[in-house]
Amino acid sequence: MPRQEILEKTKISDRLFLFQPCVGSNKYPGLITSSIEFFRKLGIELVTSDDQTCCGGFLTFTNVAQPTSTMPAVARNIAVAEEMNLDILTLCNGCHTFLTEFSHFMNDRPPVKNVVNTILSMIGREYKGSQDIYHSLEIIYKVKDRIKENVTRPLTGMKFATHYGCHYLNGFKKTALDDAHMPTILEEIIEAMGGEIAEYAENRTCCGTGLTQIIINKEELSLPHTKMKLDNLNHAEPDAAVVVCPYCLAQIDRMQQKLNYRGAGQYEVPVIHLVQLIALALGVDEVKLGLDAHAISFARFLKKFSSLQSKKEVEHG
Amino acid sequence: MRETNKEWLPGFDKKFAALTHQMVKDLEKCLQCGKCTGQCPAAKLSSYNPREIIRDIRMGNVEKVISSHELWLCFFCSGCYAVCPRDINFPFAVSMLRYAALAQGYGWEEVKKIKDPYAQDYYETGLSVNINERNLGIKREIAKNSKTDGSIETVRKKMGLPAKRRVSERAVSEIKFIADATGMTDLFKEINKKKGKPKKWNYGSPADLVKIKRGANQKFIDVEEEDKEKVS
Repeated sequence: MPRQEILEKTKISDRLFLFQPCVGSNKYPGLITSSIEFFRKLGIELVTSDDQTCCGGFLTFTNVAQPTSTMPAVARNIAVAEEMNLDILTLCNGCHTFLTEFSHFMNDRPPVKNVVNTILSMIGREYKGSQDIYHSLEIIYKVKDRIKENVTRPLTGMKFATHYGCHYLNGFKKTALDDAHMPTILEEIIEAMGGEIAEYAENRTCCGTGLTQIIINKEELSLPHTKMKLDNLNHAEPDAAVVVCPYCLAQIDRMQQKLNYRGAGQYEVPVIHLVQLIALALGVDEVKLGLDAHAISFARFLKKFSSLQSKKEVEHG
Repeated sequence: MRETNKEWLPGFDKKFAALTHQMVKDLEKCLQCGKCTGQCPAAKLSSYNPREIIRDIRMGNVEKVISSHELWLCFFCSGCYAVCPRDINFPFAVSMLRYAALAQGYGWEEVKKIKDPYAQDYYETGLSVNINERNLGIKREIAKNSKTDGSIETVRKKMGLPAKRRVSERAVSEIKFIADATGMTDLFKEINKKKGKPKKWNYGSPADLVKIKRGANQKFIDVEEEDKEKVS
């Protein structure tokens, strides 16, 4: 679908339901706080709910549960947002995939939806299929100009390597905001905030996590694969790598520590989620970014960033 | 295993009709161009070969595929789907073939590895990623960067958040109810069994939910019949 058409369909309301990813809560808590903070600066309120759990859809794709079990579990989570009449904003490619795929499946097959609702009625909920589910990139790209106007600490002078994550562009090649092979949206958002792009050949390569990979095959394939990507990324000499999925964040961040530990080289590229980067540029308190929870230190990155900021202040003032 | 020239394993699509109708429809379209394998991260590092798997399935060597170790090497990056000129959703087929493997008694030790850390946490807390860091090296790095003890609870408190993300009791009990009512819990128990071939599982489609709602069966059978017609 052409980008313009999707953007027209994307409706931005003043309030959105923030679908909290598990990795975002229990490994990188900065994702949730920084998105709440920077969206508030743009006049959009993100609402969370304690009734929301893990999306649950991944149990199907890792084959530990039947689709018959995960379908109602996913519908329950969407129902929580529907009760508040809010559209859903997802920060994780996985959550986005499972919520979207399962809701399409149920919406296209009314009998399936009826049976799912029979189960949900036993716990006092109902899945209607009335609300939209958005990937963070779709919303952020739509409010790109508003972000540009609100930048207080521009990223000028910093170089970023981008990583899209597979499940959004590859998995949704017909409905995603951008082309699966040569996407530019993430770069456009970073450039809108003044950042530079460090181009590298393995940009579209998978980060190497694949839940089944790191668990079932014990990093046997995952580690060499991520190493190859990182080697290529290092050639571009970025100040940080920008991702849009917490799983990619965890993989690229943590694998560097593992490779260093095993003496496979020196890897120290900090990895940052797009929402954290926007929050940084919009002047959100650095404590709220949660960069402490990352395995690769941001000390050097922040030092360069703040020295560039004070230089700009001197120039302007 | 000897290659045969049968079109599909007899009864394969019937046996797994509910799950596989889309897969059968998809794999029939394959041109054997090999673009999927060319870009595949798993194929680069191992003997995994998506094109060969499709070929084997179409030649009737289903048993060879579902009993193989290769079936469990997919990264689920969907790169093959993105490059496929025929729009075959191969990761979906892999997932369905894994269900078929489990139904035939293969691959149970593989899913056990995922069930223990993730699915069990999901069942008990509603979240599938545990807050406790298992890798001590990572914990040490976080401790160094944040100048704390390195646990995420402390980092969260430092950020002004509660030590743990709150998941309401209602939400957890609802998850447990859904898991118990739809057979997820039973499957977990089956996965836990270490020895012996597990009992045969019917990995039905969502249509199987009707077992819970008696009387609606007829409707579902109609839906499946329609889908089968589309295939043929």
